[in-house]
Amino acid sequence: MQDALTTLLLSALANRTFRYWSLLPAVLLFVALTLYPLVNLVRMSVSTIEFAQGVEIWRFTPRANFAQLLADDALRPALVNTLVFVVVSVTIEMLIGLALAIAVAGLARGKTWARTAMILPILVPPVAIGSMWKLMYNYDFGIFNQALVALGAAPVNWLGSTSLALASVIVVDIWHWVPFVFLILFAAVEGLPVDLIEAARVDGATRWQIVWRIMIPLLRPAIVVAFLFRTILAFKVFDEVFLLTSGGPGTATELINLHLYKVFFEQNQLGYGALLSLAVIAAIVAFLLVAQRVTVAVRAS
Amino acid sequence: MDLMTMMRASAAALMLAGLATTPAAAQKPFADVGKQAPITILVASTPWYPAFEKVVGLYEQQTGNQIKLDTTPFGGMLEKARNAVRSGKSPYDLMFLDTQWTIEFYEGGFLAPLKEIDASFDLPKEVLSYGDSGWWNAQKRWRTPDGGKLMAYTVLGNVQLLYYRADILKQAGIAPPKTWADVLTACTKLTDPPKMYGFVARGEKGNGIRYDWHSVMLAEGGSVVKDPAAGDYTVTINSPQVKAALDLYTDLLKKCGPPNYGTLGQGDVIQLLSTGKAAMGDVVTAAFASFEDPAKSAVVGKLETVALPAGRGGASGAVVGNWNAVVPKDVPDSQKKAALAFTRWFLSYDAQRAFAQAGGIPNRSDVYTSDLAKESKLRWMPAYLETQKFARQELGYAEGAQVEQILGLRLNQAVIGEMSSGKALNTAAKEIQDLFVKNGRKTGALPPLPE
Repeated sequence: MQDALTTLLLSALANRTFRYWSLLPAVLLFVALTLYPLVNLVRMSVSTIEFAQGVEIWRFTPRANFAQLLADDALRPALVNTLVFVVVSVTIEMLIGLALAIAVAGLARGKTWARTAMILPILVPPVAIGSMWKLMYNYDFGIFNQALVALGAAPVNWLGSTSLALASVIVVDIWHWVPFVFLILFAAVEGLPVDLIEAARVDGATRWQIVWRIMIPLLRPAIVVAFLFRTILAFKVFDEVFLLTSGGPGTATELINLHLYKVFFEQNQLGYGALLSLAVIAAIVAFLLVAQRVTVAVRAS
Repeated sequence: MDLMTMMRASAAALMLAGLATTPAAAQKPFADVGKQAPITILVASTPWYPAFEKVVGLYEQQTGNQIKLDTTPFGGMLEKARNAVRSGKSPYDLMFLDTQWTIEFYEGGFLAPLKEIDASFDLPKEVLSYGDSGWWNAQKRWRTPDGGKLMAYTVLGNVQLLYYRADILKQAGIAPPKTWADVLTACTKLTDPPKMYGFVARGEKGNGIRYDWHSVMLAEGGSVVKDPAAGDYTVTINSPQVKAALDLYTDLLKKCGPPNYGTLGQGDVIQLLSTGKAAMGDVVTAAFASFEDPAKSAVVGKLETVALPAGRGGASGAVVGNWNAVVPKDVPDSQKKAALAFTRWFLSYDAQRAFAQAGGIPNRSDVYTSDLAKESKLRWMPAYLETQKFARQELGYAEGAQVEQILGLRLNQAVIGEMSSGKALNTAAKEIQDLFVKNGRKTGALPPLPE
């Protein structure tokens, strides 16, 4: 009896040990692919990195890097523009994406075609989107101004006006990313329990009441997922804006990632660039935490 | 033989046939460089790339040596070059670097001085100096042959020229402008938006506005720093002369350009000229070939060029924007020698002549004084050669890229009216001085301009 118990205990121990050992490759991979670059980024952020005689030279300069971060004049407009960009574009994308998801899911015919057409913009590479919209926004040759002139209106300085450039860039982002929100929410709408909606209808609920009181509360987990993904991606926007305006005119469309690119790649300031990257990561996390608190507060009220 | 090689060989054969008929070809043979190891060149996808590709085809056909071209968009060139030299084993035997990037590579010790590959190597005396951007004096941290080593040679030397529509100016009774003030007077007269813009140049934030405006600033007698060659980094960007140049440039863009002048890039300026919507423009020499291509241009044969105009004091200014060829120090010796062999061949008179005929910009003065300059499609040559008399390298110090970022933003803010010119230049001066202080340079500042 005791032997059997011992064998059982040993076997359990071996199983547990094996379980831990079996995790090792995944842990090593995680460390190699995620943790090491992050640790290296932190190390870089407190250093100045230069090259001499073909060799990297690292100097420990945390105070200088932080002082540069605080004194960086280009950072403030970039942060403000990024916040405006994220809040406006994500809000509009969520609203349009949700409306489209509910509308397309309710179609009796042509649902497949409508769904396919809706997701087309997300398939276009960002570089092509930037070039295409830049042409369309062109003051002299763009289709928008050609149409305005044909209608007897004055052409608009879409990308060259400081008051309009950021809005023009946001429109492109909305066009590009509404399909993403639509896709997530459309799948969620399709998965809603039909009997619940039918029951509400039998009870005399209007279409608006069904959407507002039944569908949206049930869609909340999917909405949160879409919101989180879009917010993170919106903070990371780069290619479209780089191609459309390169951050100009002036600082009108300067976003945090454009600034980061210039510091890292054009100015070759690897240490300060790393510190800036960490600041961006911190800003995204802070924004998401605030958004989460607001959601909880709204839900509680 | 793959399709590309066959096409290159055919193009080369056709060019050779053409060259054989010229007297110059009969007198001066191409350099004989013997059998060499195959090499790989990192080259940017630029308007002059097709011409370079043709010349490489000619080299392969003549010598039997092989060259692989890694053609990369401009935006990816610097990172590819950095990765290549920092990896410790460069995949490229020859790399083309924008002149602005070369300091980083010289200072980083990533390159092989050309004379260390072959002590007998010298640049032919006919090769234009382009502000000596290929030389590096490590002690002075300055690009100069005085105590410096030859690290690079110019593959393509771009300078800005003033392009003008000969037909339109003639019709309006206006002579080709000689000063920037003349340009302003003429363009104000010719502007009739949105049908015709009198003058176009880059106003976009960053390198675009900094580079185009810099020539006007030099012509007005301004400078960014006092005497960097002598180690004096006193910031002079907020002088009255620089302010005058910025106000003049703003007037040119605002009064004569399209309403989106603050976002115009090189592609936009070329597009406005080639579609016939601009009467004058400040554009790189390399764009000339595209203006003469009926598939791309509505103004074939109508655009003429002159050297960039002078300032109020009569002096002219132009900035050289050249591509330098460099050899990474960590490639095997046989590859370095093969890269240098191609260099000898490429810098020979006939190769440069072939480059010009294919649409490139040659770097030898004797090509510009040859019969080629009389050819209609190369009628930009006299203006180009004239510009070499006063064109110079600018921002040739380690902080150059950061100074360009500062100026690129502040100038753009001034021309679009986000800041007054005085405030923009005072702000830029402060930022540049802080940068020099941080890096331990001997620096100083001028009294601020009224804002």
